[in-house]
Amino acid sequence: MAARREPELARRGLAITGLGTFTGARVAERLLESDAAPRVVALDLRLPRRLEGRVRFHRVDLTEPTADSLVAEILEKEGCEALLHAAFFTDPNPDLELSHELEVVGALHVMNAAAAAGLRKLVVASTAQVYGPHPDNPGYLSEAHPLRPQRDAHALRDRAEMEGLLRIFAQRHRAMCVTSLRPAWVLGPSLESSLTRRFEASRVITLMGYDPLLQFLHEDDWIDAVELALERDAPGAWNLAGEGVLPLSTLLRLAGKSILPLPHPLLYRLTHLESLARTGDPPAAFYDHLRFGWLVDTRRAREELGFEPLYSSQEAWMSFVVARRLRGYR
Amino acid sequence: MSPERDRRAHGRIPPEALAELRASVRALRDELEQRFGVRDSGPTGDEPGDEPGESVELEPPAPEPDERSLGPPPARASLFEQLRTGVRARLEEIDVVKLYESLRERIAIPGAGDISAEVDDFGLDLRYLARARRWLDWLYDSWWRVELAGHEGIPDAPRVLFVANSAGILPWDALMIAHAIERTHPGHGRPRALVADWIATLPFSHSRLARLGAVRACAENAERLLAQNHWVIAFPEGQKGALKPFRERYRLQRFARGGFVSLAVRLRAALVPVAVIGSEEVHPILFEPRILRRLLGIPVPVTPTFPWLGPLGVVPLPSRWRIRFGEPIWFDTVPMERAGDPLYVNRTREQVRGAIQNLLEEELPRRRSVFA
Repeated sequence: MAARREPELARRGLAITGLGTFTGARVAERLLESDAAPRVVALDLRLPRRLEGRVRFHRVDLTEPTADSLVAEILEKEGCEALLHAAFFTDPNPDLELSHELEVVGALHVMNAAAAAGLRKLVVASTAQVYGPHPDNPGYLSEAHPLRPQRDAHALRDRAEMEGLLRIFAQRHRAMCVTSLRPAWVLGPSLESSLTRRFEASRVITLMGYDPLLQFLHEDDWIDAVELALERDAPGAWNLAGEGVLPLSTLLRLAGKSILPLPHPLLYRLTHLESLARTGDPPAAFYDHLRFGWLVDTRRAREELGFEPLYSSQEAWMSFVVARRLRGYR
Repeated sequence: MSPERDRRAHGRIPPEALAELRASVRALRDELEQRFGVRDSGPTGDEPGDEPGESVELEPPAPEPDERSLGPPPARASLFEQLRTGVRARLEEIDVVKLYESLRERIAIPGAGDISAEVDDFGLDLRYLARARRWLDWLYDSWWRVELAGHEGIPDAPRVLFVANSAGILPWDALMIAHAIERTHPGHGRPRALVADWIATLPFSHSRLARLGAVRACAENAERLLAQNHWVIAFPEGQKGALKPFRERYRLQRFARGGFVSLAVRLRAALVPVAVIGSEEVHPILFEPRILRRLLGIPVPVTPTFPWLGPLGVVPLPSRWRIRFGEPIWFDTVPMERAGDPLYVNRTREQVRGAIQNLLEEELPRRRSVFA
């Protein structure tokens, strides 16, 4: 799939923060396999084993107070031109302070380092969940819509704060191409997240009387989009999602899963216990996404970035379901 | 491909293929007989139930001599055999696989058997709509006995924005106007009604309404729908209209910000005023206690039936309806900049409001009674 687009400019050096995340690792692998493989500089706490010896690894802790100068030094020394910032927690982290340090302060360190090193491009892997599920959302959210993440979701609130900082940063550094990618829920055969764990269960809890429309982005399309953003100059925010939408009930039926509809006041109270045990985000933060719509309008990415996802929402969902079934999930 | 089409294609076997299949089965059976001397004496000797028009009364197989000596008299035996073969043939007609599939589908998720695997951008489900059409027709023809007037004047344009008076808590009027337009102008697909915000937060009703083509009322949604050449029905009175008390029936409330005017100007849509008579009596609202709204977060109107009779109170009263479509208003010659001119938008909004109020005033004295 990487071969379907010719790289428009030979990338000199690409820095990736958060190589251990799905996004970071996949993008690095994809770029290393391409014809015009750039020099990949990895910044993370540890190096994934399958990338050993293939990237130039620097151990950086973005939560350290002086991380920014360290990162700037590395970027200058390695002669990097672009940076992909993917060092975010895949799942809401129970340690709220650490989470904030990494998601907001860490991102700020990266931004400042990028400016100090005079990078040409900064791409940030954000999420469309920053728009938040709300009953008064329009059917399709454009990139200009205000970010109103679910108020109990600390991880998403941090992400939205980061997006705000990023916007100010982009205004101050107009010479740099600052991109933020906002994908809808990413699903696929291999990605594991708190989301996929919820949908892996044979019986999925839903909210009685609510049947929102959902859209998904296939993991391969997501990596394609990141690659595309690195190749082209795409300043600003970009909504990404597969073609088409489907109601939750239809998705679950297509997957052959049984549902357990619970009234929302009961569910929000009941699952508070679960959240205490697991100490992640309170489930209201998740279940609101199954209650109100938060679909994104992908017109801009399609028309201006030329991003054509190969998988529709339904196909992304089915590829996830089929892959999990092969692994023995029901 | 829609699953419905898929299934239909599976269910029906072309007759030539059936004949071929039958011939090959016959040939195989003959071969079997010749080789092993086995006589296949199954009751389906000639596939009795396969032909739809064919009667199942067939000649019973010749009884064996030894059986005759033991069993009941020949006449009764043949009758019994006849019955048995008949019943068995009928049973074989049932497509077990299909039955199993439909049962499994229904049991897997109760109530989900009637949804399709494809919906449009805003969740309109054609299969669900087709199933609901029976009920909508019944509501339209028998419950409210809807009469139409002025529907010949609806322009045959790709983009038409209907603007109507709203009443009656639940968007019955939206369903009925959409139904009326779809019946008289079938070529334009299902018109999409914009429903009030708070319906979107209401459990159960919203998911069903969305499948029938209702969309939450907001400028972005209306614009997207019109740009996709859908016909759109707007209720600019909004929540104030849906929840107005009974004593203010047929008196149009204020029209919000007139977003519908600038939309029509920008997208070159024809604007059709619509007056609905009868809808304002289906849920006569006595008052709407503010304290309940504050407690529950949603408006709880009190009608003569509503909280008192429980779920029965949601049943709308069977008033007689009349839907009158006014003369279309065109914006083709209006310069685009006017869409952003608040004075122009305001004036046009009040003109449309006046047009609808006039239609209401014309129609109201004409009806003799609310229910007859």
